[in-house]
Amino acid sequence: MLDFDMGKYVWFVWPAYAISVAAFAWMIADSLLRARRWKREATRLEAARKPQP
Amino acid sequence: MVFAFLANPDRFMAFSRWAAPMFGVLAAGLIGVGLWLGFAAPEDYQQGDTVRMMFIHVPAAWLSMFVYICLGVASFLSLIFRHALADAAAKAAAPLGAAFTALALVTGSLWGKPMWGTWWVWDARLTSVLVLFLFYLGYIALRAAMDDETKGGRAAAILALVGVINLPIVKFSVDWWNSLHQGASVFRADGPAMTADYLIPLLLMGLGYMAAFGSLWLVRIRAEIWRRRAVILALKLADA
Repeated sequence: MLDFDMGKYVWFVWPAYAISVAAFAWMIADSLLRARRWKREATRLEAARKPQP
Repeated sequence: MVFAFLANPDRFMAFSRWAAPMFGVLAAGLIGVGLWLGFAAPEDYQQGDTVRMMFIHVPAAWLSMFVYICLGVASFLSLIFRHALADAAAKAAAPLGAAFTALALVTGSLWGKPMWGTWWVWDARLTSVLVLFLFYLGYIALRAAMDDETKGGRAAAILALVGVINLPIVKFSVDWWNSLHQGASVFRADGPAMTADYLIPLLLMGLGYMAAFGSLWLVRIRAEIWRRRAVILALKLADA
């Protein structure tokens, strides 16, 4: 049985979990967006460098 | 052997293309099961429900040190062999390490208030972890401050290696000095000092955090490789 009732410690436990979720969300979003942005940029420049037919 | 294999950027890109999502799925599974077991564990007889903070605080603290070891090794390889991929790996690790260290500090503070009666004390463990956080920030700031990327990378690598001295201080601070912080309770010579109810979810969460770092680290190294390719291509286009 899962226990989500933190009793008198509710204002300590849930904020700690919320901050952890926020930190993971930032790490995931920042890493993926960074990778996508630079992959797109490198691909675009590679295409621009190739001689046009 | 592994370093030599992955030192080639093309081989690294081929490897990380499948390894990054694989680690990500592994992390989600481990953290999911770890949280399930963590919230199914009984309240601690002394700490009550605050014991559930252990499942996010302790793995974050482990990762804060593990990531710094990765940063140190990558910086060492970058300085000695001047290998661009090692430099990219070091650069990619620093923001993740800073995030895990910040998490350890903040969740520790939220755990400290109900258990110790204070958000913060300047004792050896807390202060040395704060210093670790400042080393991460210093590394990031130093790289960003220099226009010449190569010089910035080398200066930051030296700073990272200086910061390695802090790791044993963090680890053994609770043994060397009087501290409010408890001593080691998992990795001890005479075995873990907690029951399986807490130990199993804690280890699963630790492995989950480790897998999450592995996945995100690979993604960020890939991003850095693409960025460098883009910079080189832009310069070539400008010259043409």
